[in-house]
Amino acid sequence: MKKFFTSALIRGLLWQLIGWIVGVLFLTGIRMLMGLPPLVSGQYLFTEPAWVFGALVGAVSYVAGTGAMTDWFKWAKGEDVPEHREDPPGWEKYINVSLDHKVIGIQYTVTALFLLSIGGLFALIFRAELAHSGLQFLSLTTYNTLMSLHGIIMIIGILLGVAGMINYLTPLLVGAQDMAFPRLNAFSYWLAPPATIIMLTVLLFGGVDTGWWGYPPLSEQAPLGMQMFFLSVAVAGWSSILGALNMLATVLRMRTQGMTGMRMPIFVWSAIATSLISLTATQLIGLAFQLVMFSRMLGMGFFDAAKGGNPILFQHLFWFYSHPAVYVFVLPGFGIISELLPVFARKPLFGYRFVAMASLGIALVGFLVWAHHMFASGMNPYLRVPFMFSTLLVAVPTGVKFFSWVATLWKGKIETPTPMLFTIGAIVVFLLGGLSGPPNATVATDLHLNNTYWIVGHFHDTMFGGYIFPFFAAIYYWFPKATGRKLNETMGKIHFWMMTPSFLVLTLLMMRVGLLGMRRRVADYDPALGFDNYHLVMTIAGFLIALSVLLFFYNLIVSVKHGELATDNVWHSRSPEWQVPSPMPVHNYDRPFEVVGEPYDYGLPGSVYVKFKENKSKAHK
Amino acid sequence: MEHTNHSDLLPDVLRQGIVVFVFLAALTALEFFVAVEIGTLVLLAAIAVVKVGLILYYYMHIYRLNSQDGDLDRHEYQYKLGTNRIGLWLFLLSDSFIFGGLFVSRFNLLGVQPIPLASDSQYIALTITSVLLLSSFFMNRAEVSMEHGSRRGFVFGIASTMILGLIFLVGVVVVEWPSAINAGVTPSSNAAGSIFFIMTGMHAFHVLTGVIFLGIVLRNGLRGVYSPERHWAVEAATIYWHFVDVIWVFFYSALYLVGKLI
Repeated sequence: MKKFFTSALIRGLLWQLIGWIVGVLFLTGIRMLMGLPPLVSGQYLFTEPAWVFGALVGAVSYVAGTGAMTDWFKWAKGEDVPEHREDPPGWEKYINVSLDHKVIGIQYTVTALFLLSIGGLFALIFRAELAHSGLQFLSLTTYNTLMSLHGIIMIIGILLGVAGMINYLTPLLVGAQDMAFPRLNAFSYWLAPPATIIMLTVLLFGGVDTGWWGYPPLSEQAPLGMQMFFLSVAVAGWSSILGALNMLATVLRMRTQGMTGMRMPIFVWSAIATSLISLTATQLIGLAFQLVMFSRMLGMGFFDAAKGGNPILFQHLFWFYSHPAVYVFVLPGFGIISELLPVFARKPLFGYRFVAMASLGIALVGFLVWAHHMFASGMNPYLRVPFMFSTLLVAVPTGVKFFSWVATLWKGKIETPTPMLFTIGAIVVFLLGGLSGPPNATVATDLHLNNTYWIVGHFHDTMFGGYIFPFFAAIYYWFPKATGRKLNETMGKIHFWMMTPSFLVLTLLMMRVGLLGMRRRVADYDPALGFDNYHLVMTIAGFLIALSVLLFFYNLIVSVKHGELATDNVWHSRSPEWQVPSPMPVHNYDRPFEVVGEPYDYGLPGSVYVKFKENKSKAHK
Repeated sequence: MEHTNHSDLLPDVLRQGIVVFVFLAALTALEFFVAVEIGTLVLLAAIAVVKVGLILYYYMHIYRLNSQDGDLDRHEYQYKLGTNRIGLWLFLLSDSFIFGGLFVSRFNLLGVQPIPLASDSQYIALTITSVLLLSSFFMNRAEVSMEHGSRRGFVFGIASTMILGLIFLVGVVVVEWPSAINAGVTPSSNAAGSIFFIMTGMHAFHVLTGVIFLGIVLRNGLRGVYSPERHWAVEAATIYWHFVDVIWVFFYSALYLVGKLI
């Protein structure tokens, strides 16, 4: 227990609290010196700029307090630091600053699971409220806050989950010892906990009632919680940006011999595409949110029509990131699907080059589609048409991936352990999400569907099919690699067979009531619409999903210690990380390997992907 | 490289530094007069792009990204140097999206209308722009001196850059902002004022971080941490400084020159 209380996680929390208080007092002092009123009457005592500055100082203090920046401070002082740092054995490395990409990957994944559970919990609360028309136990403000936080916490959770997969897998798949910048990697991760804390303080500062998109002018009038919301996204955004930078540098510089572009495991290609988006577009959601933060603190008029501002500008800046963001989520998911299908179908991946290029295609076209979220916003009507066509164009590279998956399955010797079940589930669910997309992309139908539950059903299908299902598949698949033990197969199958039908019922009913006219983002609906029974079923389905996820958590906790031992190549994969014993050695590959063949030639006799060299590399300490 | 002949150093500085600076100064003057006399957006944009190209190629030596070091051991300094360069350029790519967003916002909100600043502002802006360009020249000189092992030239170059950077900061925050507020352009007056303050403020923040970075590099340089063979921090500070300069090339045009001004 002592180890827990002296860990970086807890030290950081303490520092964040101190930093926050110091920041608030510092800015209040500055205001006194400038002759501005230092305090305000009302709930929060200190002024809004003081709270915001304090939260920012708190976030930086957290990271500094964990020690993730200590080596940089030493560099700045001109001191030498050792290149590697050994982690202590045991569990406490996971709650301390580690430079090992595998540890950081697991830290990310666990944090992501935590955030996804919080977001899911919020959804359960307001889903229970919606089970019946009329207001049962939530106030309108609480409903709005929960609904907004559900959105943003899920998004941050998925971003961290993506970072977890990329961090854990990329160096293993390209044959590197670590990421290109291990310290930056640790720094990126340790930005996530303070961002989470700030996001949760939204509940203490009056909540938010804008939804996760925070459009002005509403967000300029929302309670103080809005600022914490924006700040948290900015901090998490930097985590995402720096992680993407690291990933790209790793792939560009750390590949092993023979690992040419077209011989990389396919997941790496989708991670590249995802990172290109995170690296660049994330800055614009940060900018959009910063502009609102400054508007609130200094009375700036970017989005105030009375001052010659333009609220639509916010939407452009916001969606320039927030649409490609969904590709940030689904591209790694697609990568996992393409990675796992050949393993379990025992067949080569169909059309490797096209699948790889389709990832880049989705990412690049994804930059040109943002305004399809704004068909009903009042922007120039003629802009709708090019955005409609560019949006429909995304279906082409996505279709390429689907055909590749189907062709890979075709006449394969398909095995269906749990990871494969989730992979197939992902394809089915994303197909529904994908097919329900074009009606929203087409201006004429979108004007009817806009703001209905149809949209909610559509994007939950894409998020689950594109990310959540592959995420579960990846956890079931690589869990033995990380721990040396398998997750319980029976519980895994129950998890899948409980979650998938419930989820399909949930989203199909969402689409159904949406088509019948159910508005989204509302806490209540007219009983005369006749949606009560639908909503009740949806709520039950939602709780069943939660139950299945609880089973999954139980499985995780039990299997870490008592799972079936699995130290060799359990899935008979050709991928390099499975050619060495599990759990993965600390420095990944003791012997360097060379790529001598194609990655997915399953079932072709005599084909080899990687060849390990004789051990003559010196040990790097 | 223990001993360096000073006559070697001068032509290099001349070639890389002064010539580029003279070009940049001439182009800035041209930009200024084009905007005052004609106000052609296309011409302004073309000149700005040429300036940026000059800085990217000669001062930020973007060609060094293409380092042929594939056969080196991954743990060698030279190999890591190449990785660090890629990391820094990716960061700059990312950062430029913030500035790009602000740049686009300015045109979205105001079109090609000028920001209604006082006429003094033109001369203040021209002065601080010249100061920033001059600082880039000294920054380049500091880096070249470091590569040639001239510690004195390095210290002089970095110190000059820092002083000029601080003059730029004072020029923006202490001279230009009050002048704008006197002319009725305040952060909360209207969208034009807001965009003026957020753009200059965001840029000034980057200059400030650059000055701090230079301070660290100067201190370590004085303590002899860097050598002609190993001075990645100096190179990184240099490239970052020039990047902030490049941003100002666009921001200067967007804030002061676009639209018919005087």
